[in-house]
Amino acid sequence: MVGEVKPATLAAHIRKELRSASAPSFVLDISVEVPSGITILFGPSGAGKSTLLDCVAGLTRPEGGRIALDGDALFDSASGIELPPQERRIAYVFQTLALFPHLSAEENVAYGLLDLPVLERESRVADILGAFRVEKLRKQKPGDISGGEKQRIALARSLVTEPRVLLLDEPLTGLDAELKSAIVDDLRSWNAARRIPILYVTHSREEVDALGERVIALENGRVVSTGAPMDVLDAPRRKRLAQAAGFENLLDGTVLDLREADGVMRVRLGETACEIEVPLGYAAVGNRVRVAIRAGDILLAAEQPRGLSARNVLEGRIASLEQRGAMVIARVECGVTFVAHVTPGAVRALELTVGRKVWLVLKTHSCHVVE
Amino acid sequence: MDALLLSFKLAACVSAILMIVGMPVAYWLAYSSWRGKFLLESVVALPLVLPPTVLGFYALIAMGPRGPLGKLWIALFGHGMAFTFAGLVFASVLYSFPFAVQPLMVSFEGVDRKLLHASAVLGAGSLRTFWRVILPLSFPGVVTALVLSFAHTLGEFGVVLMVGGNLAGVTRTVSIDIYDHVQSLEYGAANRMALVLMAISFGVLGLVYAVNRRVWTPWSAK
Amino acid sequence: MRAVLKCVFVSLAISLSSARACGQEIAVAAAADLKFAMGELAANFEKQTGTKVNVTYGSSGNFFSQIQNGAPFDLFFSADVEYAKKLEAGGQAEPGTLYEYAVGRIVIWCPGDSKVEVAKEGWNALLDASVQKIAIANPGHAPYGRAAVAALKKAGIYEKVEPKLVYGENISQAAQFVQSGNAQAGIIALSLAISPPMKDGKSWQVPAEMHPAIEQAAIVLKSAKHKDAARAFLEFVKSKEGRATLEKFGFVIPEPDQGSSPH
Repeated sequence: MVGEVKPATLAAHIRKELRSASAPSFVLDISVEVPSGITILFGPSGAGKSTLLDCVAGLTRPEGGRIALDGDALFDSASGIELPPQERRIAYVFQTLALFPHLSAEENVAYGLLDLPVLERESRVADILGAFRVEKLRKQKPGDISGGEKQRIALARSLVTEPRVLLLDEPLTGLDAELKSAIVDDLRSWNAARRIPILYVTHSREEVDALGERVIALENGRVVSTGAPMDVLDAPRRKRLAQAAGFENLLDGTVLDLREADGVMRVRLGETACEIEVPLGYAAVGNRVRVAIRAGDILLAAEQPRGLSARNVLEGRIASLEQRGAMVIARVECGVTFVAHVTPGAVRALELTVGRKVWLVLKTHSCHVVE
Repeated sequence: MDALLLSFKLAACVSAILMIVGMPVAYWLAYSSWRGKFLLESVVALPLVLPPTVLGFYALIAMGPRGPLGKLWIALFGHGMAFTFAGLVFASVLYSFPFAVQPLMVSFEGVDRKLLHASAVLGAGSLRTFWRVILPLSFPGVVTALVLSFAHTLGEFGVVLMVGGNLAGVTRTVSIDIYDHVQSLEYGAANRMALVLMAISFGVLGLVYAVNRRVWTPWSAK
Repeated sequence: MRAVLKCVFVSLAISLSSARACGQEIAVAAAADLKFAMGELAANFEKQTGTKVNVTYGSSGNFFSQIQNGAPFDLFFSADVEYAKKLEAGGQAEPGTLYEYAVGRIVIWCPGDSKVEVAKEGWNALLDASVQKIAIANPGHAPYGRAAVAALKKAGIYEKVEPKLVYGENISQAAQFVQSGNAQAGIIALSLAISPPMKDGKSWQVPAEMHPAIEQAAIVLKSAKHKDAARAFLEFVKSKEGRATLEKFGFVIPEPDQGSSPH
């Protein structure tokens, strides 16, 4: 069926204006090359990830640009080429899966093969249902199928057509980690033989870590970073990207002192007297650095704590408390403003009020040095 | 019961034609993003507000020897279109048009767009997507459109009065026949016919709705 | 075109707007063929007495049913004396007011641009190949329809033309069918044939002896709210001026002493 496997590359240069009622409009302007294998598309909501996928699939028309697979143009505004989605041989799994509710699993999977002779169609459908381990569900309707198995069937439906590119829009949302990794494994083994470019949109760190060979970070319609997952996400270069990856605090500081033996360095935050200890980085004394800290990594104490392993204890005052669902966002002023997350129960127990004196506790390794 | 058979024949023909003609219109109205769409929507809805006599009157003019349709008909068949069964069908199709198109349109609109996208990405063209995805998921709407067109045509009076000419077996539908009996003071006959019509209509509608309930699958179209 | 519009709308019993004039008003139900004659009678009466006459036109059979069920008319001008007689017998009319105001006549009428010379051909016009549809009023309940069928039978051509007949709900709709060209010929009331929208057509008057007399009678209704004004209008119609108007519009006035004679 598949002869010599040549790795393919999807090149996409897209310019598309995005207008929405709720958000101010912005322009998706990107230029990416997606090689064989799984590439993660990561970014905050509204960054343009789904629009990018829609353009590649042919469901939306960009204002300008060129989308090509191994040099074959799927869309080219300059020469007026625009292949309809039916002819692009690109598979697309939506976040909602979009399984046809009135067809059985088997019929869903066979949908893309309706032009094939019956026997060949049936054999391919049987094969892929087996490969994704859902053959026992073949006669059932999507309404009767639960969680992870629906995802498998959606994947099977897309992949049975032997597409040249696979697009996935957060396909594993809502599944537990074990299910996710099982499905991801099946996907990996399927792609091992074929090596097609796969673009995978996700918000989840675990998926990135489990899947990612490459990550493209998208923000406000522009690519802000590409590379290995670790580089792109663990050391966020842009404020919003950092916040997307869960770092609510981004503080500027100056390196005061390096302690190689302990693997730490002291950093003065802003122009204040606040000093914290952060992991040692490639910096010299006097360098300006940026420190990213997750709000969830910060502890609040109602009285000055003693005997803690944490090296950073800062005194400050509560500037504001804002409840959001099951979480309270506390802003603490100690020369610089920190954002911390505490539970409503803690607020009550510690009798936290605006203006109260509190102590912030930060572990050294919760502070991440950015550039 | 000539008149009764004629009425049923008319209702069946008109409903069938409305399904064939109405679906493309409903499809376009459901999925087009043309700014002027509201114009077509208004035209389609016109027969809902026009008195049937007005509609019948203009249909008669159109079918007459000086009207566009009449001229074509005479050229094709050598005689006029008014006072024929075909003339009734034409006028009735106009009259019941919104009763077919609107339920169809609403049903089509209710189909999840993502399913249409999925179908396209899997290689299905518009026709196959319509046949295999939109239509099966709009089945309740199709049944409603069919039943409404049928029932509406069955009960038609004003339009038939204007263009029919009251010819036995050709244009004398049951509603005209009942009216005739009343006019001739034959209240007994009028009563009997009316009761028979009501009973049969009720039976047909009841059967359709009963079957429809079993046929409807509880999956949601979303 | 506009004339046809007028003809249709009014003759299908769309009621006229209610009068706002001070003074009395009476409501008259009139047979469809009186459309033009009654208009002038009503106008003249109003000029002379100040009483407004609101006329509703339609089929006599229809009015009969409505009046039996309590329709609020003061006067009923029927195209068929039988309806008036039935109302009197049923106690729904003021006794002694029944008045045969006219005898109707029928004509064969073709549009002005028809190739058929109906004035010359007479009955043979209906046998012409180009005449595919012939409009008459419904003989089941319209006196003009019954007269048309009787005349056709007397002329010996009923069997031949019967397949070509189409039936109007009343004589006005029959006239409208042929005026619009959908029927190529029609047997309609003389009063309609000489009316403004139709006088440019070709017509041939059917001899009166070919059909039973279309005796048209008026009657004051018991349910009338303005009996005196109604009687006054009826007197006006009976007067020389009233009779002259009716004759002008194609009605034959019976001799005075034939007022309520059986037909």
